[in-house]
Amino acid sequence: MGKKSLKDIKDVNEIKELGWDELIPGAALFSFTEPVEDVVEVPMDERPYAPTNSHEWQVGDWRVEKPVYNRDLCIDCQFCWVFCPDMSILSRDKKMIGVIYEHCKGCGICVEVCPTNPKSLLMFPEHLDNNEALKMWPKKEEKEK
Amino acid sequence: MVKKIKNLKEFSLSNDRFEGANLMCPGCSHNIIVREVLNATNDPVIVATATGCLEVCTAVYPKTSWDVSWIHIGFENAAVAAATVSAAYEVMKRKGKLPPATQKMVDEGREPKIVAFAGDGGTYDIGFQSLSGAFERGHNFMYVCLDNEVYANTGGQRSSSTPIGASTTTSPAGKVSYGEKMMKKSMVEIMADHGAPYVAQVSPSKWKDLVKKVQKGFEVNGPVYINAQSACTTEWKHAPEDTIEVSDLGVDSCVWPLYEIINERDEHGIIYNTKLNITYRPKNKIPVEEYLAAQPRFRHLFKPENRHIIDLWQKAVDTKWEYLQKREEAGV
Amino acid sequence: MAKKYELNELEVWDGNMAAAQALRQADVDVLAAYPITPSTPIVQNYSKFLADGYVDGDFIMVESEHSAMSGCVAASAAGVRAATATSSQGFALMVEVLYQASGMRLPIVLTVVNRALAAPLNVNGDHSDMYLGRDSGWIQLCSYNPQEAYDLTLMAFKIGEDLNVRLPVMVHQDGFICSHTAQNVYPLQDEEAAKFIGEFKPVNTMLDVANPVTHGVQTEEDWHFEHKARQHNDLMNSFSTIKKVFDEFKDLTGREYDFVYKYKMDDADVAIFALGTTVESARIAADQMREQGIKAGVISLRVFRPFPFNEVAEALKDVKAVATLDRSAPGGTFGALYNEVSAALLAHGKNPVMLNYIYGLGGRDTTIDMLKEVYKELDECAKAGEAKYPLQQFLGLRGPKLAFY
Ligand SMILES: Cc1ncc(C[n+]2csc(CCOP(=O)(O)OP(=O)(O)O)c2C)c(N)n1
Ligand code: SF4
Ligand code: SF4
Ligand code: SF4
Ligand SMILES: [Mg+2]
Repeated sequence: MGKKSLKDIKDVNEIKELGWDELIPGAALFSFTEPVEDVVEVPMDERPYAPTNSHEWQVGDWRVEKPVYNRDLCIDCQFCWVFCPDMSILSRDKKMIGVIYEHCKGCGICVEVCPTNPKSLLMFPEHLDNNEALKMWPKKEEKEK
Repeated sequence: MVKKIKNLKEFSLSNDRFEGANLMCPGCSHNIIVREVLNATNDPVIVATATGCLEVCTAVYPKTSWDVSWIHIGFENAAVAAATVSAAYEVMKRKGKLPPATQKMVDEGREPKIVAFAGDGGTYDIGFQSLSGAFERGHNFMYVCLDNEVYANTGGQRSSSTPIGASTTTSPAGKVSYGEKMMKKSMVEIMADHGAPYVAQVSPSKWKDLVKKVQKGFEVNGPVYINAQSACTTEWKHAPEDTIEVSDLGVDSCVWPLYEIINERDEHGIIYNTKLNITYRPKNKIPVEEYLAAQPRFRHLFKPENRHIIDLWQKAVDTKWEYLQKREEAGV
Repeated sequence: MAKKYELNELEVWDGNMAAAQALRQADVDVLAAYPITPSTPIVQNYSKFLADGYVDGDFIMVESEHSAMSGCVAASAAGVRAATATSSQGFALMVEVLYQASGMRLPIVLTVVNRALAAPLNVNGDHSDMYLGRDSGWIQLCSYNPQEAYDLTLMAFKIGEDLNVRLPVMVHQDGFICSHTAQNVYPLQDEEAAKFIGEFKPVNTMLDVANPVTHGVQTEEDWHFEHKARQHNDLMNSFSTIKKVFDEFKDLTGREYDFVYKYKMDDADVAIFALGTTVESARIAADQMREQGIKAGVISLRVFRPFPFNEVAEALKDVKAVATLDRSAPGGTFGALYNEVSAALLAHGKNPVMLNYIYGLGGRDTTIDMLKEVYKELDECAKAGEAKYPLQQFLGLRGPKLAFY
């Protein structure tokens, strides 16, 4: 075994420097830094994630557009939660809370499935400030006759 | 232990065991399916995955996107991997040598669920032998095929799940070709014919139907096969935000009927009854054309010289839908 | 609990029974297997043990060797003891998964009954399958008779499962000549064998729900090299564990094993370097040559992988001419043994005459007389101080003489 090992590393950036002698044989990866007896009982942001858990990384820079959430219109139906492919809709106690921008890839599914009128989630350019976006929110769309 | 999920709000209380910042394409259905399957239970889950998009994008060193134990061996052996993990679990349980945390779960009536995920390539084609063997041997595990009808991970080559007329990189549409020449293989029936206690077809867009079927599958003893429609934005070439809509079009046109086949078995495993239930009946069965039109992989079918393939599609879908209804009615 | 199997102090077992008994005594948790001649009786014997209540673990008759090895990989990653048996085409079908087993550092035991590879199809012994595995990252141990097949199979578990090793291990025996030839075997009693091997020590088990682990990751150009280097390092360093286990086994049974097997090598001028059952014939040939005044010796490998580079060179340091006998079609070059032994000698500044004989393919009989002929040719070379024969010759082949270089 080497000096330090992947298991001891706390900082994501340190991993990149590991030499062959510091690797875990068989390239096994661990989800957590300590045992989690019943993971379904532990909300995601309270878990002892290992730096080797992709949760600790981010893909937000893949986006060109981001979904912006408008609490005022939301009915907490959870469609966005269930269909988000990337675990990026933060939902607590049956309430939609917001978007996890570190993990959101900007696919736009949440916006498509949002049933309110106007929608409670809309795509905006990545660089636009969310408060600006909220100011630009469209009005209720009249149903076409 | 069956998790109570009355409605979507209740379902949203689930704490995911599949993590973000994986490398799947934006809008990928595979992820939605994996989430729905894992969240269908609060019991511990152990996962085996075949080579394919899900595998290469969720365990790229030094990152894992899994909060459950997970193994990938190869492209063609997800079924035997899951089956043997299941066997190893049974042996350790029998010998009283399970790790303490696992033993505790078992004592609470929360036995680990062992699930294999594989693409259609890893299922219909190269993994078929291993799948068939594992089902014949009757191991206790669930096999979920993420069916995007193409070898997506390697750049969109045809598989035996690719439907007729689809343009793929090895069955491209061209001046003299309308694309894929073969009809899609009937995997659900093939797996049901293995005598598996529970076999079902699902779509991630109908989350409740999917979750219910997965829960049923977790409750039976023996191998369970779930064929999951997995719209692939990259290879079906629809916009990422349209994933759910395209899935719905598939379901509502009956291109992707939602049904289950139950082989009822006595205590000796002898099947005394087989029944097929259609679990979703579209209010308005929409024309197949609408489903095809939503996906550029079928664009060339709308040229006059290829229209007959659309007609053939409609005929095939209608025939299958009728067949399913007849079976359901007859209770076989 | 499995029943205790009553064993006599001396049993008459063929190599397959010897291997099967060792697997039974190892209390394998998951044995996933598929039949193929000549290793089939290992699987059959084991199923009979199971049927009679002597096996506690699971025995899974899978639908192919690919699944057999895949099942072993999954079971081992799940944290249980896994083993299987195969030969030839079955071995070839496993190859993809052999690399996965070693790359994932899983201490699986594979008993290989060596057999030729098609085409043309052939069920008899040669070393094509063993050679096919030589870059797979497994430890490869060689036995020449049923007693050794038994001993090495027991030791394989202890070596592979050692926390400093955690690598899969193959135990080779020759098809038919060893696998189907009943000979005397002194077994350990069940408890002794179990105590010697010890309990399986799970590492990163998938069955521990509180510590989820990911096995079988993707590594690209930024990581793959380091992982393969680590694997190679640990395989190279497994010699110390192998030695330790050989020593412990000697203390227990009095039977002695070493990386390199030597017969009358101390004063040998000429030596045959061969693997497998040929060693036993070569010993007789060497004795007969010695009666004629030619100082003949035999050398072989007990440990084929990792290759005991220094020990081979040391054993051959005073030899004037060496014949390496390769029992596998070399496919466009010299036999593997020839290349590897030559490299060891060259690196140690030794330059004996080196000849390569390709022999025994597809179970072709290799007689004592043929081996004596090899010694005679070596003797001529030794006396002349140069190769008097082509460097590569085919031994016991019909038709015009086939030779190269
Ligand atoms: C034995 C073997 N043959 C071929 C490949 C190359 N390969 C890797 S993934 C893949 C296609 C996967 O397709 P599918 O199973 O449908 O999964 P998807 O990526 O579409 O989810 C292929 C051909 C391989 N990895 N192993
Ligand atoms: S844009 Fe896509 S990834 Fe982002 S929150 Fe919406 S559904 Fe999830
Ligand atoms: S889909 Fe729209 S309305 Fe429903 S919870 Fe999400 S944001 Fe709120
Ligand atoms: S290619 Fe298709 S299946 Fe693969 S990750 Fe992208 S969208 Fe998903
Ligand atoms: Mg696919």
